[in-house]
Amino acid sequence: MFSFVIRRLAVAIPTLLVLVIISFILMYAAPGGPFNSERPLPPEVLANIEAKYGLDQPFWAQIANYVWGVVTSFDFGPSFQYKDRSVNDIIAQGFPVTLTYGFWSFVVAVTVGVSLGVAAAIRQNSWLDYLAVGISVGAQVLPNFVMAPILVLTFTLWLGWLPGGGWNGGQWQNLVMPVIALSTSYMASIARITRSSMLEVLNTNFIRTARAKGLPMRRVIWRHAMKPAMLPVLSYLGPAFVGMITGSVVIDVFFSTGGIGQFFVNSAFNRDYSVIMGITILVGALTIFFNLVVDVLYAWIDPKIRY
Amino acid sequence: MSLLEIEDLSVTFTTADGDVNAVNGVTFNIDKGETLAIVGESGSGKSQTAFAAMGLLAKNGRAAGIARFDGQNLLAMSQREFNKIRSKDMAMIFQDPMTSLNPYLRVSDQMAEVLMLHDGISKKDAITKAVQMLDAVRIPDARARVTMYPHEFSGGMRQRIMIAMSLLCQPRLLIADEPTTALDVTVQAQIMQLLADIRQDFGTAVILITHDLGIVAGFCDRTLVMYGGQIMEEGPTDDIFAQPSHPYTSGLLKAVPRLDKDEATLATIAGEPPDMSHLPPGCPFSPRCAQLLDNCRAERPMLETTGNRRRACHLPVQEDA
Repeated sequence: MFSFVIRRLAVAIPTLLVLVIISFILMYAAPGGPFNSERPLPPEVLANIEAKYGLDQPFWAQIANYVWGVVTSFDFGPSFQYKDRSVNDIIAQGFPVTLTYGFWSFVVAVTVGVSLGVAAAIRQNSWLDYLAVGISVGAQVLPNFVMAPILVLTFTLWLGWLPGGGWNGGQWQNLVMPVIALSTSYMASIARITRSSMLEVLNTNFIRTARAKGLPMRRVIWRHAMKPAMLPVLSYLGPAFVGMITGSVVIDVFFSTGGIGQFFVNSAFNRDYSVIMGITILVGALTIFFNLVVDVLYAWIDPKIRY
Repeated sequence: MSLLEIEDLSVTFTTADGDVNAVNGVTFNIDKGETLAIVGESGSGKSQTAFAAMGLLAKNGRAAGIARFDGQNLLAMSQREFNKIRSKDMAMIFQDPMTSLNPYLRVSDQMAEVLMLHDGISKKDAITKAVQMLDAVRIPDARARVTMYPHEFSGGMRQRIMIAMSLLCQPRLLIADEPTTALDVTVQAQIMQLLADIRQDFGTAVILITHDLGIVAGFCDRTLVMYGGQIMEEGPTDDIFAQPSHPYTSGLLKAVPRLDKDEATLATIAGEPPDMSHLPPGCPFSPRCAQLLDNCRAERPMLETTGNRRRACHLPVQEDA
């Protein structure tokens, strides 16, 4: 197991490198640049600025410089847009916010999704099942950019219970709506996956054996059915968790939470090369890491998997 | 009082194409320490009869009638009461040992939980008893292997583990649903020998459900032949084999391949197993019967008792042919 983790981490390095190169090429190929604006700068000034940021150098020199900076001093470079801030500053400011509401969204999505799915599976074809399936289908077809305005309309404008946006250091009042808006569709997927995999597990021969032993149904579910039923959910949770903790542009835009989602989109519009790269690498690294976590959990649940 | 009395038991499944009667009015009983074979081809309702008695029917199935264990009607019991009997007093082992054990739990955990639940003993004591039972079913090196997972055992070994697990609380009745079907022939013989020893050592009554007449002969006191969810014939195993009185039983016995005769083709019973959702109004076997009488198709024969045998057939009993 230990050597498996080491090997996987070793493979992560070239993977990230490929990610960097592809992103860099795509950025390079996109028309325009960080210093193009509606009122063009005099060519001499533009040349000076580009020289300062190293944009006058050939492609390979640029990418080599960038990778060298990242590897040797963990320096993702200065922002091209915000003159006084580095990419590290921007991530340090935005990521904790995204991480906070992403984490809570994850907790809500998993708890509610798994409970709904299991309840629906145990009472298959009962009103409870139809209700759970109904809720998850409803939640699935409501994307977060629809959820968000509905929430604001309800809780801020009509009921006046919650602030319509802002972060305020992560007070719970500011967390509620972003978390609901972000977790809803993930919750729906988790509920559907849980329901179908639980139904499948409940039909297996070893569950019949467990029932023949005289175990109460609750014990059959928790002890015998839960682990195998969670396997498909787990493989969904890896990417889903990354999706949630890297947040969503929609959440940041709608609730002015100030997470990295907003920076990411702005950087793409502004051709803020270093910020685009920094956030891409962050998301890539997190994806790789959590897929590894999922693999390790898989081996922990399923004794047939040995690395 | 018999250990298990089944009276007019029916099992019905609700499907998209309407109700399917898998078992129709089956009545039989088994005494303490007795061995009963329930024989029939696939879909004859033999397994569903057992599942109904164990409360293990699929969700869309329901049982009607009476299944009395030790005087208590199992079918009228609450789930809670039923759970006190399952595995404690009546246990069951299944057809496919490869999938009948939970692949995600250690054998020790799966075995110990039975004792912890029914006898309320500590996990440590339960594992000690589990090891003893694994020794009894001849799992080599049981003490070391008990903490392994099911996939680390062969099919035959897993069936032994299932048998050991079912016997932990020393049940008075063991239902074995085709315990050797998924195993190869040499392992089959070992498992049957093991079941025979267990019956001897523990005095457990055994219901052996099988389509393999070969393993019935040396093992079971009585044999019950089912077809189309109904009992065709029942009697002492030796008598049934020596003098089958029902055309279906004769057909089954003829279909057993014999090594002492050099036959080019294997005898079969012509036709298909019945469609359980559209059983004929008369004898369920009538579409395939070689000795069909006029009233067979229209009139369902009653199960009639003669001495220690029962049969459901319009054909007059033939004296020593």
